[in-house]
Amino acid sequence: MNSLRSKGSFFKLYSWLPMILLFISVLNEFDFNYLNLKYFSFNFPFILIFFFTLKEFKYFDYFLVFLSGLINDTVVGLPLGISSLSYILICIATSYFRNITIRPNPIKDWFYFLFVISLINSINYSILTLFFSFNLILMAYLVNTFFTFLFYILFVQIFKHYQKGLND
Amino acid sequence: MASSRDDFIIAIRSAFLKKSTQQKFSLLTLVFLSLFTILLSNLDFRIIKILKMSINEIVYRSSFIVSIPENFLMNTFIKISDYTTFYNDYKNNKDELNKLRSSNTSSEIIQYENKELKELINDYASSSNKILAKIIVDHESPFLKSIIINKGSKDNLKIGTNVYDQSYLVGRVIEVNYKTARVLLLTDLNSNVPVTIAPQNIQAIITGKGNNSGQIKYIKDGLSDEFTDQSIAYTSGTGAIFKSGIPIGKLKKMEDQTNKKFDVEFYTDFSQLKYVFAEVITQTEIDNSNTDNNNVNNPMEAKLKILEDEIKIIEESNIKFKDENELLKTEINNLNNKINGYKNEISKKNLTINQFNIDKNELDFLKLNLEFGHKCRRTFFNNKGFKVGTSKYKKCVMNNGRINE
Repeated sequence: MNSLRSKGSFFKLYSWLPMILLFISVLNEFDFNYLNLKYFSFNFPFILIFFFTLKEFKYFDYFLVFLSGLINDTVVGLPLGISSLSYILICIATSYFRNITIRPNPIKDWFYFLFVISLINSINYSILTLFFSFNLILMAYLVNTFFTFLFYILFVQIFKHYQKGLND
Repeated sequence: MASSRDDFIIAIRSAFLKKSTQQKFSLLTLVFLSLFTILLSNLDFRIIKILKMSINEIVYRSSFIVSIPENFLMNTFIKISDYTTFYNDYKNNKDELNKLRSSNTSSEIIQYENKELKELINDYASSSNKILAKIIVDHESPFLKSIIINKGSKDNLKIGTNVYDQSYLVGRVIEVNYKTARVLLLTDLNSNVPVTIAPQNIQAIITGKGNNSGQIKYIKDGLSDEFTDQSIAYTSGTGAIFKSGIPIGKLKKMEDQTNKKFDVEFYTDFSQLKYVFAEVITQTEIDNSNTDNNNVNNPMEAKLKILEDEIKIIEESNIKFKDENELLKTEINNLNNKINGYKNEISKKNLTINQFNIDKNELDFLKLNLEFGHKCRRTFFNNKGFKVGTSKYKKCVMNNGRINE
């Protein structure tokens, strides 16, 4: 990793990788929908934001998270600001959870993640249906929440490896 | 109890307001900024519109570039799937092509007639120009079904512009930027299309279901009983949102339902869209008082075209009739030959029968001659008899030797 640090620009790129991934994921909206699995989708930005804000990762800027939300809204076609609000609410939830947690536990984090994404998807769904009169499939939201919850633990392992590589 | 509430308030306050050294904004500021953006994006100010359009342009282009690797993977996946079903698809397409070719001529005539009648009713001629547009973003969000195309207000696209895949309806434009536009697909839950269901001629509205099918809404109870698997749905033009007569899909009976319920199976495969056609319509008023050549020529040309097509159809039918006549003639000749053959046979049989009758008479005569010949023959003692071989002699023999009868 010393060699990595010595290569200044590469280290910078590696450090900003989560943020780059976040922007790629909102621009690309990859969801494996071409697999034709009914309702199957998961929210990768939620996992990414939750994990890195919970770990207070110093290259994860809140303002950039806000911007990524705006981009997501533009790509998906939602009213501007909805995703930004969701992402910032995740940041608030993780900040609060970090403040009240003395000894971090991955399982607790995982179930807290489920609670947070359920709450945020509910807020999202309510705003879109009540204020913007969108017709949405509730089942799609539920399945999305479920798969996001399932995939969280998998991605956490990958992110931990990444963090380990960065700290070494 | 009080201390735990204090801890909660401290934690919340810290979460909202505390800024770590790397952060430029507190989370509370960003929450307000988000709410402000939501509010602002719904205001119809010109400057906001321009700003929004600029953001859209940049984001859509960036999204297109970023999606290249995923699109490559997706296309590879689809190509592999296509290769496995290539031969069957080819055979089906060939059959369908033959059927379509046969019905093409009559549908062209109907189109010309339809165009002419519409011009007469509406008093304006609408000339449509379909422009090819490439889909630059097609992420098929599980919540909203829309695509981004690379044509916008620069190419005269407007909100509501109809978008097609070949001749089938795909959706309509709901957001226009300078060089891009967002198209709401028929599969989206927020898409409502007024349709006519043929041949029952029932008016209804088709709404997207979020997957690749649509559901029929707003029809009177009991009318759905008339639907069959053969029924097709096309736009009715009600509300002037969509042009009339655009095919959408065919009705399909839902398998998991015990009662008779139908869904609409769209003709277009929305997962395979790469290019679409946006229909830019320009309406020109027809000046009835002005009888210049252009106004006369168009309907005349259409009429001529119709007549030409009719002649073509009549000629084709004539050729068919001629062929049929030839076949019938040959059949008649064959039958006549057979009749002649039978006649010859009958005449032969008649000859045989006649010969048989002659032989039989001769035999009878000979038999009677043996018995009664001496009574009829003229002799020295019988001078009343006849000379042998004369007709009187024969008559006498046949009358059993009675000379006077």
